[in-house]
Parts: sequence; C-alpha cells; structure tokens
Amino acid sequence: MVNTKQGATYSAEEGVNEGILSFAREALSKECFDAVLMTAKMPKNDSFAHVLIADETLLGDACPLCPVMPIQGARVISSLTRYGKGKKKIGVLVRPCEARATIELAKLGQLDLENITIITMDCPGMIPLSDYFEDAEKGDKVFEDAFQNWNSEPMRPVCRICYKFSSAGAEDLHIGIMGAKGGSILLIPHSPKGEDVLNKMGLSLEEDVNDWEASVNKLTEERKQKRNQSNEVLRSDIEGIDRLLETFSACINCHNCMRVCPICYCRQCHFDSDNMKFSFDDYLTRAEARGGLTIPTDTLLFHIGRMLHMSLSCVSCGMCEDACPMAIPVAQVFTLVGDRNQEAFDYVPGRSVDEPLPLKTFEEEEFLEVEQSYTGVSARQENQND
Amino acid sequence: MTKALRINKSAEEGLKELLRFLLDNGKVKGIVTLRKTGKDGAVSYSLITNPDDIESAVPLFPLMPVNLAKQLSRLTLIEAATEPIAVVLRPCELRAFVELVKRTQGSLKNILFISSTCGGVYPLEMAVEGNIGEHLSEYWKAIGQGELVPNIRLACQACEYFMPYTADITVSLLSNKGIEEETTLFLNTGKGESIVEGISGKFSEGDLNTTTMEQIRSKRKAEKEKLSDEVELRNLGIDEITKTFSRCIGCRNCSKVCPVCYCHVCFFETETSQHGPVYYERELDEKGCVNMLSDTIFYHLVRLFHVSTSCTACGQCADVCPANIPLWAISLKMAEAVQKAFDYLPGKDIEEGLPITTFVPEEFAGIV
Repeated sequence: MVNTKQGATYSAEEGVNEGILSFAREALSKECFDAVLMTAKMPKNDSFAHVLIADETLLGDACPLCPVMPIQGARVISSLTRYGKGKKKIGVLVRPCEARATIELAKLGQLDLENITIITMDCPGMIPLSDYFEDAEKGDKVFEDAFQNWNSEPMRPVCRICYKFSSAGAEDLHIGIMGAKGGSILLIPHSPKGEDVLNKMGLSLEEDVNDWEASVNKLTEERKQKRNQSNEVLRSDIEGIDRLLETFSACINCHNCMRVCPICYCRQCHFDSDNMKFSFDDYLTRAEARGGLTIPTDTLLFHIGRMLHMSLSCVSCGMCEDACPMAIPVAQVFTLVGDRNQEAFDYVPGRSVDEPLPLKTFEEEEFLEVEQSYTGVSARQENQND
Repeated sequence: MTKALRINKSAEEGLKELLRFLLDNGKVKGIVTLRKTGKDGAVSYSLITNPDDIESAVPLFPLMPVNLAKQLSRLTLIEAATEPIAVVLRPCELRAFVELVKRTQGSLKNILFISSTCGGVYPLEMAVEGNIGEHLSEYWKAIGQGELVPNIRLACQACEYFMPYTADITVSLLSNKGIEEETTLFLNTGKGESIVEGISGKFSEGDLNTTTMEQIRSKRKAEKEKLSDEVELRNLGIDEITKTFSRCIGCRNCSKVCPVCYCHVCFFETETSQHGPVYYERELDEKGCVNMLSDTIFYHLVRLFHVSTSCTACGQCADVCPANIPLWAISLKMAEAVQKAFDYLPGKDIEEGLPITTFVPEEFAGIV
C-alpha cells in the first residue's frame, strides 16, 4: 500500500546495497539514530546475522539486502525490546514481511516501538536457506543475478507469490528500489519519525514517486494473480483431512517451524507442555481404538493448533519452511490458510499498529452462519424469528 | 553361546513374522516399529496393536525419522508400560533410551527390545528427496557383505557401536550373506528366549562372528578419521569453533531432536538467559556493534558439555540443522573424549552409574 506521493532521491551509484549503507552511515553520523540494526555477513563469508551497529566505520560487512533470511527480523527486534525500550534510538532495516511481523508483535505486547524507527525496502525475495548453505558463493551470485531483474524464480516459494514485497504502510521510512532512477534509491517517509530522519539528513521531499509506484503496482498485480493460482493448486492438494494428513505425514514433530516463527512468541508452547504428555495407558488405548498410533503422536494437531493461533497474524515470511528438516511446504500451507482467515476478518497483519487484533475484538454479531446455539436452532434462525 | 532362532524368510519378512507372532499370541499388546504411513512413502514409527497392521511395517527401513529413545521416554515417562510391548530400534536409539532411563526419563519395564547389527540410516534429506527406495538394493547388498553403505548419514559411517548391548533379541544383519533368504535372531536374554517359544523356526546356538565385527569396526573407525579430517576437526580451537557456529541461526533444533537433551525447559530458553536492552546497549557502548544472535557458541558448548557423557552419536542433530553445521562430528569428538576420560560408554549397562552422578573422591587429581 502506497500512501505517500513524495520521496527524496538518494545516490546509490555503487549499487543498491552500497546506497543503503551510505544512507545508514550518514544517518548515524547525523545522529538520526544511535545505532542501526541490519543483516551482516559473518566472518566465514558463508552466513548472515542481524547486527546492531553504532560505530559507522563497522558498517563494512553489513548487507541490508542479504540473500537469505537467517532469522526473522521481528524476532530480533523483540529480543532487543521485549523487556522494555532502551535509551538508544535504533533504526532497523528490515524486509517488508519482517516489518509486518514487527507490527503484529507490537500489538501482541512482545516489543516496544517507541525508540525504533522501522525502515523497509523493496524486497526481491530471498533464496532458501538450504540452497545457500549448500554453496554460499553460488548463493550470493544467484541472488545478485535474480535481484538485477527482479526475477523471483530462485527465491523461496512464498517469496515468489508475495505481493507485499514493497511498502507495508506501517513502517516509518521506505526505501524504494524498483523504478528508481539509475544509480539512486528513493527515501519515502511514512511517519513523523521517518520525516524527521530526512530532515536531519537535510533531504527534502521533492521527487514524485510515480515511477516507483507504477512499477510496484504492476508487480503487485502480477504477484496477486500468481498467489491466487498457487493457492488454488495447493488447496486441491491439501483440502480435507486425508490430504492434510498426507501433507504433514513426513513431520518429525520437531516444532522448528514454531521456534523460528516470528508470531509464535509463547515462551512455552501448549504442545511442548505437560498437557500433551499422556500416560502409557492413554497411548495404548488410542492405538487399540485405531489399530495403530503414529509416533510422535499429535503432529497434525500441533500444526492445526499453531494455525489457529497465529494464522491471523501470519505474514508469510517463509521462515518456517526454511527451517523444516523435512521440507514440508509449511509456509505455503500457512499462506493459504492465513489469506483466507485474514480475509474473513477483513484483517491485514502488519497494516497498521492501530488496527486491533481480531482475536481481541469482540463483535456481538459475527459469523452467525457458523454459530450453533444450545437449542439446536442456529443463531441466524433465531435472529430471523425475532 | 547364545541361543539363535532362524526363520526361513528374508531378514525384514522374518522379523515381521516374529512381530506378528508376538501380537497374535498375546505375548505383547503392542509393537513399536517403523511403518509406511504416507502414500508417497513417508515412514514413521508407530505403535501397532492389530496383527494385520504388521503387513505395513518396515522394521528395518534405513531411516531414523526421530530418535526413538525420545519417544519411548514420552510413552513411559508418566508410568511404565502397563502391558508388555516390543520395540524395534537401532543400537544408538537403545543406548540413548538406557541413558534416559538412568536419568529417570522413562522405564524399561515390560518392554522387549529388538535391535540389530546396524548398517546405518540414510540422512533425512534423502527421505525428503523421496529416493531411499532407489538405494535399498544397494543398501542390503552392502550390509550382507559387511561393507560400508555409501551415502548413509555421516554419523553412521563413522559409528563404531553398531552392535546392540542390551537388546533381548538381535537381528543379525551385518556381514550376514543370507539376509535375503533367512532371518537370524540371537536371543540374548531369558526374556528373549522365552517370548519366542512356540514360533516356527529353527533353534540353534551361535554367536555373532567377532572377527567379522572387528573388521567392520576398523572400517568404520578409518572412515571416522577421514570424515573428521574433512570437517577440519583436528585443531578445533576457539577461532574454528567461532567460525563453524557462525552459521547457526539459533533455532536450537539440535537440542529438540536430541534424545539426551531431555530438559523440559532448556536453560537457554529461561528468563535467566534472556537479555534486556541494558545488556545490548552496554555491549554496543563497549564494542560499537553487537551480534543480535548472542550466546550461540555459549549454547553449543554448554549443550555439548551437558550431553557429552550420554551422547550416543545418533546424528539426528546434524540431520535437522538448517545451517548444515557438522554437529555430528563436533558432538562425537567431544563425547569420545569425555566418555574416554570417565571410562564410560553410554547405554552399555543400565547398572552403571552416570559419571555426573557418581562421586569419586579422588578423580582427575591432575586438573584439580
């Protein structure tokens, strides 16, 4: 969603990554922030991690447009501010899906945005972690080539069908890359915090952002179509309890999808709790009732439970799928379910920090068609009788 | 000499015959073994109670979807098995379960353990690619000849403890040229002997050929040395450790799938090990930058330290690592050193106390 019509042009003659780094360096030196948070290459040159940097001379290994998502950025911001805001002002450079998850976590009380300035960028997608860790050098090159022409083919399946790859609307400042004039990037503020950054940097809002907007809108439409098609195909593959069981049949119940998920913030998951430990007799009785019991037990129940808990806030970041040792298309399944659930509640996760979570919003008359009354007469029928 | 039972069928079919016999004759109420569960060939452990379902069992399928020790702990944690069951598992799983029982995380009671001389399992990645089936004939050929099986888990290629220690019944697989035609089961315990009474098969006496087993052991040992060199483990100093673990994404899946990591809540997930803004800001003031994925090396070192006496080198940790860190090799190196120092082999003997709970007044005097 694009809700501003103006931006500032910023030079990026040595490439987009370098351009974003110059911006970060200048923002630090002009005291827009005390530190910036972004991904950086690790010493062995084969991985990335989120690094908080205050000393602008240490920005050398930073790589805001990194080819993989090592950890969901929202989780990192939550680690930083879950126990309250610090004294320092921090600019975080994250992908749009990370920003959206950040907004969701703010609503869930898992982070504090007061001293955080969220900066997003047009996202070309990211390649699967498994591809990258197989051959990092090749991964760097594949990503770089794909980024040059916004080719999403080598990216993760959910990145290929992502239509929210640009401004999320709720960030403070967005970096426009698509359709920006050669050798430059666009800085588009979306909040007083974002405007403040540009003011301190002495940048004025002169550039109209129509070209960027047009490029973004074009790709958004393409991706929306692709997503609908992909969702339809997947739906026929997974709908119904038998197909769903088959989809998750390889699950080893490690719960790694949950642990890397930005939205699954519970300290102790119900499915890891004592509530899910049963006596030997329970297991044997269940096995006897069905002729057999798959071990580990309750794997599908876990996925459905998780779906129920987080699908309204799911931002389709794909981290779950990246971390699944059995390559189950978790993120694609959750995207399909998330899209439908979010649509039912007319809710877009990460759209606005002021938009209340559906689970916390009580509507007296809602989903009457699925309601069942104690008398056996549906609520809707009762209403009609009134 | 050990009592041996021979069944006139291939190893897998013969073993299934035994399992069916046990259920049919009410000798056990349930059987835990691998079973084909998904249409596309997914294999999972299953608690089977209906003899007809033994048909879909694949007890010797070379895959370890989960380390069964962890699951047996789950089954017997609240109460020991109230009815007799039989369990088919790999030697490293059996050893890990014995360790868990020593740590009061389960019970051996009422369980008949059936294991085998183990040729290893394929990596989970191969199950993901769905092509284990193509490798099966190669697998069984190599097993029968006592050769190393190509493409199995690196942890398995390097495993020297491929013979079960505490199994009631051992299926002879390695270097057993007749596995396609005949199943040889060694009845190691009185329980193993008495439970098969009434089964149709040939009874005799015999033992695993120790010379052959030693030959296999030396092959594995040589392979271990080679693989350790490949992952550059020789001089694992702090710099190498830092670099090796810099790929870690902090998901801790290594601990979640580890049979020995049984803690309900890991120290690294408690409040104590969470940092607040004060910590990050202090680090920032001191160093100018902070890696937000803090304490990864600390986590890995502490985990190694905690599991090293009981680690049975099953390799599950490495198989699930999204960052392909050669955890099997690192754990193995650590475990070998620690177990040697304490003269302790995890899972070998249920009566042997855990080094960590055994107080010896004069121990390691040199480093005190």
